[in-house]
This record gives sequence, C-alpha cells and structure tokens, in this order.
Amino acid sequence: MLDWLQFVLAPQVVNGLSIGVAVVLMALGLTIIFGLLDVINMAHGEFYAIGAYAALALIGVGLPFWWALALTPLLMAAVGYATERALIQRVFHSKDRHTLTLLLTFGIAIVLEDILKIVFGANPLRIEQPITGATEMFGLFFPNYRLFLMAVGAVVIAAVWLVVFRTRLGAMVRAAAFDRHMAASLGVPVSVVYAGTFAFGVALAGLSGVLLAPIYSVFPTMGRDFVLIAFSVVIIGGMGSIKGAVIAGLLLTQVQSISSLVISPVWSDPLLFGIMVLVLMWRPHGLFGRLGHG
Amino acid sequence: MAEVLTIGRAPTPSVDAKRSAVRWLSYAFFAMALLFAAVAAALGDVFFFRLATESLIFGGLALSVDLLLGRTGLLPLGQALFFGFGAYVSALTLKHLAPSLPLALAVVLVSGTLVGLVGGLIAIRAKGVYFALISFGLAQVVSKIVFNTRELGASDGLIGVPAPVVSLGVASFDTAHAPSFFLLVLAGMAALLALLMRLMDTPFGRQLDAIRTNEHRLAFLGFDPWRYKLAAFVLAADIAALSGALYPMLRGFVSPELMFFQVSGNAVINVVVGGTGTFVGALYGSALLTALKSVVGSFTAHHAIVIGALFVVSVIFFPKGLVGYLAPALERLWSRR
Repeated sequence: MLDWLQFVLAPQVVNGLSIGVAVVLMALGLTIIFGLLDVINMAHGEFYAIGAYAALALIGVGLPFWWALALTPLLMAAVGYATERALIQRVFHSKDRHTLTLLLTFGIAIVLEDILKIVFGANPLRIEQPITGATEMFGLFFPNYRLFLMAVGAVVIAAVWLVVFRTRLGAMVRAAAFDRHMAASLGVPVSVVYAGTFAFGVALAGLSGVLLAPIYSVFPTMGRDFVLIAFSVVIIGGMGSIKGAVIAGLLLTQVQSISSLVISPVWSDPLLFGIMVLVLMWRPHGLFGRLGHG
Repeated sequence: MAEVLTIGRAPTPSVDAKRSAVRWLSYAFFAMALLFAAVAAALGDVFFFRLATESLIFGGLALSVDLLLGRTGLLPLGQALFFGFGAYVSALTLKHLAPSLPLALAVVLVSGTLVGLVGGLIAIRAKGVYFALISFGLAQVVSKIVFNTRELGASDGLIGVPAPVVSLGVASFDTAHAPSFFLLVLAGMAALLALLMRLMDTPFGRQLDAIRTNEHRLAFLGFDPWRYKLAAFVLAADIAALSGALYPMLRGFVSPELMFFQVSGNAVINVVVGGTGTFVGALYGSALLTALKSVVGSFTAHHAIVIGALFVVSVIFFPKGLVGYLAPALERLWSRR
C-alpha cells in the first residue's frame, strides 16, 4: 500500500501538477479575457499552438530555449493586441457581443490553424528538452524539466494574482470589468485596458504553449484537446474568476491524472465533462464569482 | 448593422412583405437546384451531383443550427454530434437490419429524439455562452468515444454501407443513382424547409422567437421557457440526425470525423454566411460554401484559410448574411413598384 502511494500515486500526482500548471495558465488567459471583455476566445487553443511554434522557430534560428521562453509571450502579446484592435473591437460594441465575438474568434481560429499548416506543415515536430536529468526526492526520481515547469508556472500565477489584486493597474482592470462607463469617466483608458487584457491572456496561452512544447509534440491542431480542458476548468471555476481557474485547474488535472491509473485515458475526457455537468447542475455559474464582482 | 444574429426585434409592419421575400428566395433556391439538376443530367455528370447532394445534406444540419441560433437564440457548437449520430445509426440499420430508407429514417428519428432529449436535459440547463460551450464539449466527448470504440470501426468508421432502393409505388428511386438521390434529398429538404417555416407561424414558433427576444418576459407571461427550449433542442437534434442519416447513402461510409468540431463549426458558418434566422439562408450558405470550397480546393489544399477569412469578414461587416441582406433589398424593390 505504502509502495503504491510512493511509486505509483506520487509520480502521477506530480505529472498531473505539471500539466495542471500549464492548464491553469491557459484557463487564466481565457477567464481574464472573459471576465473583462465578455469574449469567449475560441482561438485560445490556436494561440497556445502558435506559442509553441514561435518557440520552435526561435530555437530554429539559433536562439537558446531560454530566449524563446522569454520572447514568445512578448510576441504573443503583440499578436493579441493587434487581434483585439483590428478585429474584436469592431464587433465589441454591438448588443450581442457574446455571440458575435465567439463567432469571430472561431473564424480567427480557423485561419490561424491553416496558417500554421501552411508555414510549418501538418506533421508533429519536437523541441529538445532544455533541462535533462531528474532529481531524487522521497526516494523517487522526478524529471527536472517538469519541476522547472511547475516553478515557472507557480511564479507566473502568483504574479498575475498580485498584479490584478494588489496594484493600481490591476485596480484599473477590475474597475473596467465591473463598470466600464464609470471606469472611463474616472480616467481609465478603457479601450487600451481591453486590448491590453486580451494581449495578456493571449500571452499566457503562448507561454503555456512554450512550456509544454518540450513535453508534447508540436502540431497545428495541438490546441484543440488542450483548450477543451481549459474551457472545462473555466466553466467549473466560474467564467471570469481567477481564483476559480486556479483551483479548478489544479483539481481537474489531478482528477484526470489519478483516474488514468484506474480507467483508460480515453475515458478521462468524459469524466471531466461529467464533473463539469454536475457542477453546473449544482451551481449554474460555476464555483466562484466574476472578476471585479466581489 | 450591429444588432443582429440572436437579437430579436419587435415585428415590424413589413413583416409579411419580408416573409414573402424570404419565401420567394426559397422558391428561387429550389428552382436553381432543379435547373442545376437538368444541366448536370444532360451532361451525364456524377461528381457534381454528389457534391450538390452533400451540400444539401449539410444544409439540413445548418437548418437545425438555424432553428437554435436564429430562432431560439441558442448557439450550438456541437450540432455535428446529432448529425454523426444519425449517420452511424443509419449506417448500422442499413448494414445489419435491412437496406431500407424508411426503416433507417424511422430508427434515426426515434433514437435521435431520445439522444436529443438526453443532450437537451444536459445542455439546456446552461444559458448563453455556457450553452455554447457545453454543446461543444458534449460533441467533443462523444466523438472521442466513437473514435476509440472498436465496435464502431474506431477511427476508420463503418464502410460498405449498402445504398437502399426506395419504391414509391409506380416508380422506384435507387439512392446509388446520383441524380435520383439528389432529387430525393432535394424533395426532403424542401419538405423540411416548408415544415420549419410553417412551424414558425404556430404559437410554438412564436414562443421560440419570444425566448430569443426576452426569456424572462416569457416566464412572466406564464410560459415555461425551459420546456420550449427543450422542444426546440430535440427538434433540432432530429433534423440534424435525419440529415446525417442520408450521409451514408450518399458516400457509402461513415467516420468519426462527421462528429468533429469541423462539421459543427461549418454548419454555424453556413448559417451566418447564409443569413441567421431565415432558414433558407442555411441552404444558401451551405451551397455557397460547398461551391467555394470546391473551386478554391482545385487550386490549393488550404481552403480553410479562405473560408475562415470569409467568415471573419462576414461576421464583422455582413452579420445578417446573404439572405438577411437580399430579402430587405427585394422588399424595397417591390414596394418601389
């Protein structure tokens, strides 16, 4: 029993945690974008894929992985900013922005995915693991890269939390989410805040893509399955809730990785989905409230 | 330009004129389809007959999306689930029970209603974007299960589905004969379209319009929106499943790809490009995009980028869709006379 805990369960928990951190980064991007802009970003999975491909390309031109890790989120932020200014804000002020922006980002996703196929081809590519080896802890060996991934993810999540809830910038974002007219009349540059928030969410998706690229292979549709988990996390945690995304993200990925010890991984998606449906029956708006609302 | 799609507006005085313009556009669609059939038959073509039939079948799926998106105000992102379900049930019936079209359709109708009820009970609980995401997730999960079920052919799907022969007393239609099957599907879609347009004039149809416009007010008037939404969802599931049931007769196989998001997404694109809430727009959209795909596809394998860009442009600049602009234009033309 103790052996099972140590040699079967513990590694699975750690694996789940490293994926979980990446899922939380994805979900944070989705939930912040929704909480502030009311936009369901259907292209989030494609931005995740672009992040991975951007890292691949940067490494391809000779930069070390660390440079790619630092540059990709910046690059993705620029892409996100441009997307918001050029496309999304055009339909943003219509009465029915939920549906229109959802359809719009869905169209963007189709275009982006095909661009990736044209530029990089449809075959899976790989990035070398930048950190090799493993660390021994509690008589177990954990891959160093996964430990690194968790550390980076935890730092970024903590930083997001701090910025949103403890800085003046975060206060402006929360104010714009709560009442954009009031925020605007108090001097908050709402349209810049909107575009910046979208850019930030996209950058988080890109960061998640870079971090996971050395673990998974990189291919144009890599975002599709991954974004489904992120959507489940956001729905369970509550659309627009940062706390919800973190808690639900870590819990759900644990459920997924521990359950795969017992059931075939094929059934882990139906399991997650079943949990999501149950949560929605119990609390139709997810576990936690929206950004800027209490 | 901005306030379109699922936003309802109070009926304007010209509502009859508008409806007659839409009706005229429906006649025009079927007239053009018959004209196409005559030309293609004269040229002895098979390929374009099959392509046009496929576009009609996916037009049926788009009709079911329009019933939810354009009339009830629910955006389904997983309608391919029911389409694929109908295709699989139909393929299994044709293969293992009897190669009979009425039997296949009857089995699909009954089982589609049941599956639609289950899906509806899950999805209708959620509102707005939550509904969209849940329908998306439902389809994703089921398609993945089908993809991994060896009994259903897993990723290969089911092949070698026999094409049934339909006897109509005096004449008999062989669904393997491309022109005959095209006419059969065309007649089916015409009946479906007539039924849906008729349905919208019944109290039930008005309730759906009311739900789209303001769900809370409907509840204040003493109606239970949940029941009407569920009914619309089941009806849409049936329409999608019946359309899907025709697919294996056309292609002789079914595959899990039929349930994938690509198919659901294309149905939504067809509706938005064709004109949300107009029904016949779904058929126009499907025909238009099938033609476009076929033309662009002959130049490059990357037709998705063209379709996607067209969709982005049409959401931003033409959110009412083809029929949504043509019908008022026709109206103005008539009233000027």
